[in-house]
Amino acid sequence: MASALRSTILRHIRVPISHSLSVNGSRLTAVRSMSSHGDDHLDKQEVVDRVLDVVKSFPKVDPSKVTPDVHFQKDLGLDSLDTVEIVMALEEEFKLEIPDKEADKIDSCPLAVEYIYNHPMAS
Amino acid sequence: MASTMKYVRVPPNSASLAEARQRVFEFFKTACRSIPSIMEIYTLDDVTSPSQLRSVISSEIRKNAHITNPKMDQLQRIEPDVIDMLLFKGTEELCNIVEHSKQRHHILGQYVLNREDRTHDIGNKDQGASDFLKSFYKSNY
Repeated sequence: MASALRSTILRHIRVPISHSLSVNGSRLTAVRSMSSHGDDHLDKQEVVDRVLDVVKSFPKVDPSKVTPDVHFQKDLGLDSLDTVEIVMALEEEFKLEIPDKEADKIDSCPLAVEYIYNHPMAS
Repeated sequence: MASTMKYVRVPPNSASLAEARQRVFEFFKTACRSIPSIMEIYTLDDVTSPSQLRSVISSEIRKNAHITNPKMDQLQRIEPDVIDMLLFKGTEELCNIVEHSKQRHHILGQYVLNREDRTHDIGNKDQGASDFLKSFYKSNY
C-alpha cells in the first residue's frame, strides 16, 4: 500500500532535494543523504596539503624544498623510479588506482594535485 | 594476486630498452600494490611500514640500474634481455612472497632488517667506498 502510494506520488511530483514530503518525504531525503556520489569531493587545499605531506615524507626529498609547484625530477633531483614511487605513495594515501597512461604524465606536484582533485573516487 | 599473475603471460623478449624500462616500472607498481597484502600475510605491521617497503623495493631495483647506463665499461652494454631476466627473477620472488611460500623470518631478514650495513650497498662493482674495507674483504692481512 505504501509503495503504491509512493510510486504514484513519484510519478506526478518533482521533488527538489531539500524539500521533504509528508509521509514518504523522509524516506526520500534519507535515501538521498545516504548516496555518496559527488557530495564528498575533497577540498582543494586539503588535497594540496596531503600531497605535500606525502612528498615531504619521502626519504630522499629535502622537506624545505617542497612547494606546491615543485617538479619531481627537475627541482627535487629525483629520477624516474623515484617519481613512480611518489605516485604509488599518492595512490596509497588517497586510496586510488591510477592507470599507467595517466601515471606517466604525473611529473610534478601541481599535476598530481590536479589529477587527484579531479578524480571522483579520491578519499 | 591477479596483478602478479598477469605478468607470466607477457612475452619474454623486450623489443627495446624503452620497453624494458616500461616493464620495470610496471613490475615496481605491481610490487607496490601487493604491499598491503604482504603486510597482512606476514604481520609486518609493527616492524615496518608500507613506505619503508617501497623504499626497499626501489633500492633493490636500483641495484641493477647500472645495466641501463653503459658508461665506458664494455662489459655492461645495454641488454634488454638481461633486464628481462632480472625482471623474471624479481617477479618470481614477488610471486613466492605473495603466495606465502616464504616465511616471516625470510622477509624480515632479506628486506626489513639491517638495510644499512649490507656489504653490497657499498657500491657497484666499479665504485668502492673505502680502501680499508676493500682490503678487509679481500683478506685479513
